[in-house]
Amino acid sequence: MKAFTILGLESSCDETSLAILKVSTSSVDILHHETATQIPIHQRYGGVVPEVAARTHVAEILSLLDRATLFPKPKVDAIAVTQGPGLATALRVGIETARAMSFASGIPTIGVNHLEGHLASAWLVKENRAQWKFPILALLVSGGHTELVLIKDFCSYRVVGRTRDDAAGEAFDKTAKLMGLGYPGGPILSQSALNGDSTAFDLPRPMFHDKSFDFSFSGLKTAVRNTWEGLSPKKQKDESVRNDLCASIQEAIVDVLVKKTLAAARKYHPTAVCIVGGVSANRHLNDVMSQTLSRELGIRVLEPAKGLHTDNAAMIAAAGAWHFERKKLSDWKKLDAKPELDL
Amino acid sequence: MRHVTITTGDTVERFDVADPSGWNDIAELLASRLVPGDIVALSGALGAGKTTCVQALAKAFGIKRQPPSPTFALMRSYALPKAIRGIKRLVHVDAYRIEKPDEILALDLDEELADGKSVLVLEWPEQITSWLMRHISRIDVSIRGE
Repeated sequence: MKAFTILGLESSCDETSLAILKVSTSSVDILHHETATQIPIHQRYGGVVPEVAARTHVAEILSLLDRATLFPKPKVDAIAVTQGPGLATALRVGIETARAMSFASGIPTIGVNHLEGHLASAWLVKENRAQWKFPILALLVSGGHTELVLIKDFCSYRVVGRTRDDAAGEAFDKTAKLMGLGYPGGPILSQSALNGDSTAFDLPRPMFHDKSFDFSFSGLKTAVRNTWEGLSPKKQKDESVRNDLCASIQEAIVDVLVKKTLAAARKYHPTAVCIVGGVSANRHLNDVMSQTLSRELGIRVLEPAKGLHTDNAAMIAAAGAWHFERKKLSDWKKLDAKPELDL
Repeated sequence: MRHVTITTGDTVERFDVADPSGWNDIAELLASRLVPGDIVALSGALGAGKTTCVQALAKAFGIKRQPPSPTFALMRSYALPKAIRGIKRLVHVDAYRIEKPDEILALDLDEELADGKSVLVLEWPEQITSWLMRHISRIDVSIRGE
């Protein structure tokens, strides 16, 4: 296979991101990668500001292209852009940019499923590519997603389980919010959990004994709310009590994620398991998952894609590269946002 | 136990939901009254059961997929397998992450409603009251714990 370069564009929700990948038979290199994250704005307003995100996508994507000296004629072999799932208004910023460039330059476009991008983030890690043998079982965990996906081959997937209500990342953020922790609540909760006793509070493990590989986290949220409101104001302010509750919440979420992944691995016999998405940055989840799968099935958990956990364009370019190699291109004239896209 | 208050114009009705299946009755009642262009504004604290209520409504509309929380995605829509009184689509919106009322413009909700075949269910309506006030065709559902 001849080496090729591919541009990736991502604007499905809060982040605007651009990346250029060089792919050859022996290596995959990220030549350029820049993400305009909304986090400084979050901190200023104490929450996510979606409208700001949607409006700034336009300005951000143009300055990202400027800095990568790409517009309007990029010197790449293909342009991969997130087609969905996501917000229509946000997705269209990336898509229209890709279409304009394709029209001006004749470079082919590839519409990429955002979820496939997350799966491809694991493949961007060199050590993982060395043992990339199908089938691979992926646990996709983020603020908006909790899915167990069987990767049967490049571009071939089967969702074997998913959340029926809240996503795992949402469970972290919302329980943190109930306890009055700051934003983003998930990482703060995990940090406090380090100094807490995870057996201090008895929290439910929703769907634990259900035979499906589906998840449910909204009941946990309600249980945490009842537990928190049952504490005296003095106890609510006690740091050790707070740490204990944080540790108990994290343990409940991790327990369910690991148990369901293990059960799915028993059924589908993957060669390896990977964890992708924002929550894959959680150290405790990685540790428990690795120990459990190694002990129970002798299966290893692939390395986390450091720096590529949350939404980014490198993963979109990587998934685009899988399609490009298999000549699965999109017609730029017909390319449109698919807000409800699924794997 | 949850206490549910349904306000339609000047009419106020109160219901108790004792267990998860109780949401089905509330949903059936709502589904029987809705027409295209309607908004169901669903308020209640974190963990009160708002998404559970929407899941029951989706079921009442014959939608097979169980709607997950749209907090992160902000908006998800579901096609009805069979139109009910002209309703062909359920749009599920969550304003939890919205900080300023103007931000709702990014979702183009007016356009979503203008297609003449959609019903919109909105969680955290208190985040966008000024947008909501412009819409008269509205049912307010408020959920409280014990």
